[in-house]
Amino acid sequence: MIYNEINFEASPFQYHLKFSSRITIVRGDSASGKTYLFALLEDLKLTETYQKIKLFNYKSEKFHESLADCRGNFIVVDNADILLNEEDRRFINFEKSNQYMLFLRNCDGINLSRDSFAVLQEDEGKISLKREMVTA
Amino acid sequence: MIRLYTNTKHKDLKSWIMKNDWYFNLNTGNQTFTEKERHAIAKVDQAKLTEDKHIETKYGVGTIRNLSSGCKTLLNIMMNPERVVNIDECGKNVLDIIFTMEDISVYMSRPERIDIAEDKEILFNDSDLVIGKKGYENWWTTEYKRREEENDL
Repeated sequence: MIYNEINFEASPFQYHLKFSSRITIVRGDSASGKTYLFALLEDLKLTETYQKIKLFNYKSEKFHESLADCRGNFIVVDNADILLNEEDRRFINFEKSNQYMLFLRNCDGINLSRDSFAVLQEDEGKISLKREMVTA
Repeated sequence: MIRLYTNTKHKDLKSWIMKNDWYFNLNTGNQTFTEKERHAIAKVDQAKLTEDKHIETKYGVGTIRNLSSGCKTLLNIMMNPERVVNIDECGKNVLDIIFTMEDISVYMSRPERIDIAEDKEILFNDSDLVIGKKGYENWWTTEYKRREEENDL
């Protein structure tokens, strides 16, 4: 794991994100703050502690090539449903030096465990990743 | 009736909205918003839209470009009814709203659990007309069996 936890304050919110799987799929309702978190990580990745964060969204140029170049990174992909192709999904499965947080609904082709699924949860300004129970 | 497409093969995708954030930011967001759209924004994003197209949410004050992807998708559907809109990025809260709408065209590549009225008509890929949640779920069950068989060949 690159990061077991990511903790930071972005007033009025405090983020305490714990990861128990190499691949974390963040789903949940629309407007639950996924893209807002992505924007906050753009600043956070400029700090020494979190410099291994790599961010991709629909605005990223040469997404597929850039993803394939990543080694030893904590990779966050917003808009993953429209970005990830089969080759990207294979890379995510087999390039185990990277850790992933994917804002993704269609998990076809990605090897996941029961701990992989999460939703963002807010409780009085404290935001965490709540494990999502997934049924077949 | 909802026209629902589940694949992009043999389609003219130029008229489809596949990247909702991008399309909204450059096009839909520049249209005039009515009370109907304001209500949708309030319902999905709990956001208040001002006259000059700023929004106020729990995350702060921003512009309509800061709406959620799901909300932008819903607005793309409402304000561009002639287009097929990709709803793959929508959460259940937005999908439940979309499936109450009439005379819209959407694209989804996989099934999601959605609350659908018993009498709702859904036309899959211009060919299979189904009724209600049961019809929707049965269609996807058959589709997955078909896809499995296709993969086995």
